[in-house]
Parts: sequence; C-alpha cells; structure tokens
Amino acid sequence: MKKFNVSLLTGALLASTSVFAQTTAITNATVHTMTEAGVLEGATVVIENGTITAVNPGNVSADKTIDAQGRVLTPGFIGSMNQLGLVEVSAVAGSRDGGDDKAGIDFDASPAFNPRSSLIPYGRKGGITQNVVIPHGGKSIFEGLAFVVDLSGEFNSVLKTSTALVIDMDASGSGSRAMKYKTLTEKLEAQQEKLAKGKKDDKKDAKKPSREELVLTAVLKGEIPVVAEVERASDILEVLKVKEQFGLKLVLWGVNDAVLVKDEIAKAKVPVVISAVSNLPSSFSSLHAALTNAGKLERAGVKVLLSGFAFEGAHNLYQLRFDAGIAVAHGMSYEGALKAVTSNIAETFGLDGGKIASGQRADLVLWSADPFEFSTTLDKLWINGEEVSTESRHDKLRERYTTDSDMPRAYTK
Amino acid sequence: MQKFKPTAIVLALSTVLLGCQDKGPQKEKVTIEKNPYPSTYQPLSKGSTLITNATVLTGTGERLEETDVLLKDGKISQVGQDLSAQADVTIDAQGKWVTPGIIDVHSHLGAYPNPSVESHADGNEITKPNTAQVWVEHSVWPQDPGFNRAREGGITTLQILPGSANLFGGRSVTLKNVPSPTMQGMKFPGAPYGLKMACGENPKRVYGGKGVAPYTRMGNMAGYRAAWAEASEYKQAWEQYEAAYAAGLNPDAPKRDIRLDTLRGVLDGEILIHNHCYKAEEMAMMIDLSKEFGYHSGTFHHGIEAYKVADLLAENGNCAALWPDWWGFKMEAYDMVPENVAIVDAVKNSCAVVHSDSDTTIQRLNHEAAKIMNTANQAGFSLKEQDAIKWITYNAAKSLGIEEITGSVKQGKQADIVIWDRNPFSVYSKAETVYIDGAKVYDRHDEKYQAVSDFMLGQR
Repeated sequence: MKKFNVSLLTGALLASTSVFAQTTAITNATVHTMTEAGVLEGATVVIENGTITAVNPGNVSADKTIDAQGRVLTPGFIGSMNQLGLVEVSAVAGSRDGGDDKAGIDFDASPAFNPRSSLIPYGRKGGITQNVVIPHGGKSIFEGLAFVVDLSGEFNSVLKTSTALVIDMDASGSGSRAMKYKTLTEKLEAQQEKLAKGKKDDKKDAKKPSREELVLTAVLKGEIPVVAEVERASDILEVLKVKEQFGLKLVLWGVNDAVLVKDEIAKAKVPVVISAVSNLPSSFSSLHAALTNAGKLERAGVKVLLSGFAFEGAHNLYQLRFDAGIAVAHGMSYEGALKAVTSNIAETFGLDGGKIASGQRADLVLWSADPFEFSTTLDKLWINGEEVSTESRHDKLRERYTTDSDMPRAYTK
Repeated sequence: MQKFKPTAIVLALSTVLLGCQDKGPQKEKVTIEKNPYPSTYQPLSKGSTLITNATVLTGTGERLEETDVLLKDGKISQVGQDLSAQADVTIDAQGKWVTPGIIDVHSHLGAYPNPSVESHADGNEITKPNTAQVWVEHSVWPQDPGFNRAREGGITTLQILPGSANLFGGRSVTLKNVPSPTMQGMKFPGAPYGLKMACGENPKRVYGGKGVAPYTRMGNMAGYRAAWAEASEYKQAWEQYEAAYAAGLNPDAPKRDIRLDTLRGVLDGEILIHNHCYKAEEMAMMIDLSKEFGYHSGTFHHGIEAYKVADLLAENGNCAALWPDWWGFKMEAYDMVPENVAIVDAVKNSCAVVHSDSDTTIQRLNHEAAKIMNTANQAGFSLKEQDAIKWITYNAAKSLGIEEITGSVKQGKQADIVIWDRNPFSVYSKAETVYIDGAKVYDRHDEKYQAVSDFMLGQR
C-alpha cells in the first residue's frame, strides 16, 4: 500500500527528508492533461511527495528542474485485464496464481502478487505505471476480485484491492449460457433479500456476513463495479438488463460485437474494455470484431478503455501504446485513444492517476514524441513521483550477447 | 552420406536383388508422383499498372525515392524514375510507399481458422510423434476469414505449417493469398514443400504425458535420429531400385511409405526443413543432426534464443524466423530479447525473418518489423526501413525457397506489390492497394476489391 499513516510518514520524513521533500519541475513540456485543460504547450508540471502539486504555476521553485524541450508528457498508461504479477511463465504451474478451481466471488489474488516479477520492468518500457490485475477464477462464472498495482516493482505496490468483481458471461464451453444468468441473478437476489431482511431484524442478532456476502453487498450498492466478460450483442443486452434490475455499476469487457448495440451501451452509460486489434470472428459470439470498432463506439458516446489482446496479456503489456495508435489509424480520435489508456481506466476503476492535474498521483511519462508511434522513445518515467528505470533482464541478456569478451559470456554481467 | 556410386550399386544388385529379377521384358517402372495435388492458381487479371513517384523499399536493402514501378503481364516490368511507359492504369503514389508483397513464413491460417470451433482444429495431427505423412494442405479451409484480413495487411504469400505437437508435424504448403474455393487455387506454383519439425517442450509434453516417447529432450533427439536412419534406408532402397531398373533389370519396387516419402524428399534436398526450435543449445544440436544424416537444417522458427547462436546460424546458412517480442508463455520462451532479429541480422550472410504464427499479427508484419527496428536502434543499432523490410519480404522468400520468383521489387519478378498510405513503419500506416502477379487483389478505398469469406457473407 502506498498509503502511510501519519506516524510512519513522520518517521520516514525524519529518516530521509531529501527524498520526500524534494520537488521536481518538468518544464517546457507538451502536456496531455486528460482533463478539461486539454493539451498544454510549453507547460510546467511540479511534483512533490508523490503528487502533482501544480500545473503551470505562476513561478517555479523546485529542487530539480527537467527541461522537456517540448517533448510530450502524459499520465502513466494503465494496463488492465491481465494477470501481471500473478504469472511469471504461463506454462510453469508453480509460477501461476491467477486462478484456482475453488475461486469464486470472494477470490482475492492480491496476496499472491509478486512485484519482483520480470514482467513488471518490461511493462514499464511501454510507459505503464499502474495495472488493473484480474483473476481468471475457476469453475464458476465468478472469476474473483480485481486489484490495482503500480509498476514500481516495490513490495508495497498493491494500491487497491476488491476493485471490481469479474464475471464470465460469454458462451459456455458446455451446457448453456442461459445457466449463467440463473446463477448470477440467484446470487444477487438472495443477497438483496438478506439485506432487506437485515434491515428489519434486530442488529444484535445479525450474523457476521461472509466475505462473499460482503462482496455481493458492495456490488448491489454500486460500490464496486462488475466487470462482465461478454461478446455477443444479445448477451450484452441481457447483461444490461441485469445491471438495470439490480442497479449494478457495470463494465463490459471483450464485447467484440458491441457495435451492434452501441447506442444501448451508450444510453446505459456503461464503459467497455476492448482490444484495439481484435478483428477476427473467433467464435459465433464475435462475428463483428473489427479494427474500426473502437472509433465507432467512441463516436456513439461510449466510454472506451483499451486493454491488450490475448497474446499481449501481462507479458507484453508494453504494447498498449501501439494498440492505441492502431485504434487511431482506424478511426478513433487521438485524445480518445489517449484517454482509453489513461483517464478512462482510472475513472472506471476508481484509481488515483490517469490525469495530469494538481492533487493527482504523480505517475508520469516523458516521451520523445507521439507516444503511440514506434519511433518514439520513453525518455523518463515517474511512478508515485519517483523516477524509475525501465531496464529489465531482457536488456541484461541483450548486453551480454552483444558485448565482446575474452571470457565465456556467462562472465558478462 | 547415403550416396552410392553406380558401380557399387550394380555390384550390390547382382548379389542382393538377383532373386527378384525377371528375365522377361521390364515391368512398368514405379515412380512416385511428387505433385499429386497440383496448383490450379491463375492470376486474377493481366492488366498493366504504372505506379508513379513512390518511395520504394526494394526488399533487398535499397530505398528509392520518387520512383515508378510498372507492373505488366504479372511481372515487375520496369523500376525507375520518370518511366515513359503506358499502362492500363496509372496510380499517382506521391507520398506513398511501395514494398514487395509481405510474406509470412509461419502461419496456420486455414488449418486453425476462425471461428476457432472444435471441428476447425485441423493443424496438429497429435496421434504419433512422427506424422511426416500428413500434408497440411489437406487441412486448409480456404474460406478462413483470416486470409482476407491478412491480405488487407499486405500479405501476398504465406506458408501454412502444421502445428508443433510432433517431432515431425507433416508437410507445409506455400500459398498465394488469393481468394479461391479450393486450396489448389491458392497454391504457389513451383514453391517447394516444407517439413515441419519441432524441438523442445511441445513434443515431450504432448507424448510424455501419454507415457509414449518422447518424454524428455533426449527422447526428442532419439526420435529424430531413428526417423532419419529409417528414411536413409528408404532412400537407399529406392535408389537401388531405380539404378537396377536403369541397368535394364526388372527389380521389384520398394514398398511405398507416404511418411518416408516426405523424409526422403528432405534428404534429396527437395523439401525444406522448417523447425520450431526456441533454444540455443537445441538449434545447435539440430544443425549437427542434419549433418549426421546429410540434409540441411533449414529455417529455425520462433528461435527465442537465436541471438545466442547468431554466428552459428549464419555460418550454417540457416534462416531464423522470429517474433519481435512474444515471450514467457513457456520456459523455452523465457530468454526473449526484443532485439533478437536485429542481432541475428547483423551477422554476415545471415537470414533474419520476422514471422507471425498468429492470425492477428500476420495483419501487421510491417509493425512487427518496426518494433524491432526501433527497439534495436535505441540499443545502438542503426537500422533503416530498407533494412527492416527484408525481414518480411526477401529473407522470408529465401526461407521458403522462392526468392528468385518473389520477395523484392526487381525487374522480372512476380508483381507481388503493396502500396502503403505512408511509411509502413509508422503505427498509423495501412496497406492501400495489394497486387499479386500484377492483379489488384485488395483496395482499401474500393469495396469491389475487398473479398469476403463465404462464412461471413450475410452474417448480421
């Protein structure tokens, strides 16, 4: 957790005043604020103590000034819908913690998160500073609880737990998808009844709610969103009905056929998480997958979040910026695509970040130019106000095999 | 080597085969038809097209500015500035880029098509570790919508491979990316067959789990060696038969074995090896294996660790067909470096290829190459567009044995050409027009040239 209680913070301040008190000003940057302020040219952003304390202040006094020379400053990009930190090598069972046969509504995989995973610095190469990690559950339609991490690689990088309840409402491998609606609505109805009954009963006699009940209550109160993985247009409409019936805060994920019901999704004010590169009819539920979908949904007024495609997953999280570029090439607006990898994700999952404004968490990326373009380099990266390197073991391997040595390469470190 | 001098064969025949000799007239000679499912491909049209003022990446290391390209009779007829030629259609390509048609050496389109439903899983004959008798062309569903998506990304030629579950997965087929109701209608005339082999984790996982060899990597090697030893005997038996027949004797033909026909084709140098092989030490052993039995080890596919043995691959004339950045999905894919292709490419006489193995990234091999070029340049390389385009054109053609026919913008070659709306190494780039043998097969701005699979027709 990045939150410090007062006594801890005071202690830390006493121990290393310089780290915490230092202010950094990034000057002369092209700042994509992701707020109503839009894009600011030649702007200054001041960060202190992990937070953006000023954007374009009247006068700048900082311990450290970085002249951006007109380069592009964006909020850190936010990954989502992957198992970052829960998987090192997909085919190595002992390095996988994203699912469990017994996983259900209250499955919280965050204690298994490994901030020292080699995937994390690799993700930083793409300017990813936070990630919404999702479990992939077990046999039930309830995959478990999403949680949020930063990509600092530090042991305190889990920022938020119980961020969303993830459910799988896509076609069943066996049996009928209709059964999924029965399972979902029965659970929600039962909890609704318990809550109604609990109000009538004497509080002293009330049984302590189970973890599962706590999650369901939060879902019914709209305190945490439900992320429904769903593809087919008719299924999307069914899930929207469930949202309406129970007053859920809903997020749709996958939704290759969302374009067929884009107006209904927009009207329900439900955000969608899609891949910008998914464009094949991989099943009868996704016959309308297309590169143009992100732009079409955006124009219909749907809040679009971009996440990596299947093989990009946690390992190649860094590609998110290129996916955003592909979305733009096929009709999404530039600022819309930038929002889709920053502020839209932060807003949907209630994260601190995704915007450049006073009071926001200082997750920032300084790019040599357009962050979506292949030729653009990531020049500097800040996570929670700290400048972080993007070096990973991949760089070590490359260096080892491209550096001449008289000794076997095993001695090159 | 399994080659024998004729005199030695005749001597051998006189003792070994004498019992089989019929004194009468020779029976009809038994020959093996090497092309029983021949290509029926025909170019879609024969009109001429003049593309003017383009930035041309030749595929062989050159970048030509303000250049015209004339496509005529299915061939690249002229390349140069201010061509005076007349053509049926002239395209002003000012600001646009022209490249050879993009070639993917590693695809499963048609064999693992979309939708990926149960009855479409036709890519892996997971029944025995050696299934060299299967030909993936017999699995290809030409209506796979992925062919159309790939064409929209500039893919004009692609090799379809069987999967990697088996030590010997079967024969590959090289296709022209044209819409056709039959596989034969897409088959690339004259392209050699390939044989898919697989190293490492996949075969041992698939069979070891069933209590069948191979259970280990040493079991993998034993499996290859046993197969090549058997194939060598088969080849020898046929050569003895042919020699005896040529000597006027009347020998019985060896028993035909479809599996061994394919392996013999490799030993005869007619079929190229395409070897799924990730790790440095395994690639080195596969090279020795090929020397042990007298064939060439061909192209290493996936080669996550190719950068560790880049010199060895170049010395031995192997192509390495690689991803830019896939990694971590299994142990043998853990040591990825995103500069892998660039490191392999930097060695003299190398053959670095960027492949997809994906129905998604096949649509953007130009982007895959762009990622590598830029990442490598940040690490100190100085690669340019004209260098990187080779990985998805000329070098890919070389891997497939068709580099004399396609894979570069050069007079006399097949007119397989892509016009891009801008520098194809930009994330915003899109293929605008695609030509195969000079015929327009895709136009982003004209629905008439946008093919739709039967499967997608009328879906709503």
